[in-house]
Amino acid sequence: MDVRAQLVMVFNLDKCIGCHACSISCKNIWTDRKGAEYMWWNNVETKPGVGYPKKWEDQKVFKGGWVADGKNLRLRAMGKGGTLLSMFFQPNMPKLEDYYEPFDFDYGNLYGAKEGNDQPVAEVFSQISGEKMAEIKGGPNWDDDLSGSPLYAAEDINLDDRKIIEEYDTMFMQYLPRICNHCLNPACVASCPSRAIYKRGEDGVVLVDQNVCKGWRFCTSACPYKKVYFNWNSGKAEKCIFCFPRTETGQCNACAHSCVGRIRYVGVLLYDAEQVEQALLKPDDQLVEAHRAVILDPRDESIRDAARKNGVSEQWLEAAEKSPVYALVKEFGLALPLHPEFRTMPMAYYIPSLSPVLSTLGDTHELAEHGTFPALEKLRAPIGYLASLLAGGNREVVASVLAKLIALRGYMRGRNLNEPADEAILKGAGLDEAAAGRLYRLFTIGGHDERNIIPPQQREEQDPHTRKGASGFGILKKTGRGR
Amino acid sequence: MLNTFIFVVLPYVALALLIFVTPYRYLTNRLTWSAYSTQFLERKALFWGINPWHYGIIPILAAHVVGVVAPGTVKGFLANQDTLIILESLGLGLGLFALFGCLVLLPRRVNSPLLKRVTFASDYILLILLTLQTATGIYIATFMRWGSQWYLHTAVPYLWSLAAMSPRVDYMADFPMVLKLHAAGAFLIVALLPFTKLVHLLFLPIGFIKEPPILYRWRAKHMP
Repeated sequence: MDVRAQLVMVFNLDKCIGCHACSISCKNIWTDRKGAEYMWWNNVETKPGVGYPKKWEDQKVFKGGWVADGKNLRLRAMGKGGTLLSMFFQPNMPKLEDYYEPFDFDYGNLYGAKEGNDQPVAEVFSQISGEKMAEIKGGPNWDDDLSGSPLYAAEDINLDDRKIIEEYDTMFMQYLPRICNHCLNPACVASCPSRAIYKRGEDGVVLVDQNVCKGWRFCTSACPYKKVYFNWNSGKAEKCIFCFPRTETGQCNACAHSCVGRIRYVGVLLYDAEQVEQALLKPDDQLVEAHRAVILDPRDESIRDAARKNGVSEQWLEAAEKSPVYALVKEFGLALPLHPEFRTMPMAYYIPSLSPVLSTLGDTHELAEHGTFPALEKLRAPIGYLASLLAGGNREVVASVLAKLIALRGYMRGRNLNEPADEAILKGAGLDEAAAGRLYRLFTIGGHDERNIIPPQQREEQDPHTRKGASGFGILKKTGRGR
Repeated sequence: MLNTFIFVVLPYVALALLIFVTPYRYLTNRLTWSAYSTQFLERKALFWGINPWHYGIIPILAAHVVGVVAPGTVKGFLANQDTLIILESLGLGLGLFALFGCLVLLPRRVNSPLLKRVTFASDYILLILLTLQTATGIYIATFMRWGSQWYLHTAVPYLWSLAAMSPRVDYMADFPMVLKLHAAGAFLIVALLPFTKLVHLLFLPIGFIKEPPILYRWRAKHMP
């Protein structure tokens, strides 16, 4: 057993209102600069839709992620030999048009235009070439709220029946916020010929070392989520850094902090690094279970001891114990990995959306046994769609999560209306009263410090004696001449 | 005078720059150490330019190096006339392939509006220099036949004399101008390497080939 700690984010899709506050705060802090204009380390997509970059989920296009061929995992795109032969021209790399040509408006003209007969306008120009653009052809959320559109939504690969988005009474829509998943088996890391991308041992954050990266570009397509970007100015790859300068000091990520719907949870998971590869060899529909099996119980004393041996601090163990992420992902089994079948073992989890639960009752929705909520199969967002998105096609996993969410709502609704609390509803879905209390707090009134439990990194805690005798400033090499 | 410049001054200056500037740049600012790929902004013309260029020039460059490193072996290998003819034809073909790549890449830089923002003087200097170098190489291969043979008896001992710090210019002095230009171009490219994106040539993916796929970095020493 090789117990390691990982900082993980959970998204409650029911509560995402698609306001893009997360994207904007991320952009303001990290990517508002030359070469990074088109990058949105955090973006919010409308589902069904093609996303950003367009069709990122379709691995026939960019060939990202891993495939399991029975006994081994290998990168979908190419092996090491193929990589070295494709260094000059990377065949799968997404191009600028797959994202969009970043633009801005010439606002100065509104003030500086000469007096004339017409109102001055702020014309649009390309942030790359600087030249005027005749037409804006795309943006990071170009299909925002267009889930009924045959232009965008119909291209969503998760839809098995495209007709569903054509009829007004079956059409549905939800938002999908995405950051880098900081995977346990990151394809970007494996694809890098320079070995510039690495996973931090202490918190699992995946980073690109800007000193080592030489711009070979394999990571941009190897990441099945398209969350590694090529900076056209620096000639190097960049990606979400999980706001490590913030989390190292115990602060919450900018995207999570700015979240209006308070849909995000950040916390620690303990996992067994030795089991990761075996887990990923399972068939698609067993991957959610495999994910959960890799995650370890932070209250188990033997696991805590193994973690301590690996250098996980007491503060991290305490945070793991209180972790809202552990509760949502493993303990109550509500949060699911995004496209587990890409086999990178993503460490961002999503609670599928239930909404809209209330609608015109009648032909479309039938009442569940306990009233108020429609039966599972009658929910607007089809289970098959959610299963394709969050469970490698396993409908039972999604159905069980939705059943828990419905039970939780039914139970809490009863309690709030001073009706006799019926624990049987909860039991039927695999929850109990204590669980309902915890989840209710997390989903509703839980404050910032309940939703985000981020232990400080305590750099001084590790090897204090070595550091004391070293050169200071975090550098472990000794200074001066001689030994 | 010109001979001294091309065959004594230029190579040593180039070598000195390579030896001293490269590590200096590596140690002081690796943030500019990149191949500066422009594939993200333009890929249609790039495909027809960059692939012919690299697949053409790398075997040719390797052949030049092998001749210097192991002249004896190569002499034996080329003793058979059939082998010689096949090899020279192959070299000429690869040279033309590389030149074709250059001729695609040059107008590409000029024509694409998006690329103007990422095109600097050094890009044009390198591209033109490499095009000329390929062109002189093709001229030599075509009109000064059996170069792979006489290279081993002229340029190779000359390069070894350079390494021994006693340059024997007489090996090269009587060659026509075009070959001297080819040599000067080669030294110039070496001299420019540490200052430009050509540093991407200095790349050995040993870690990529040997290490396990997932790379971890631990802040403190990891105790397994």
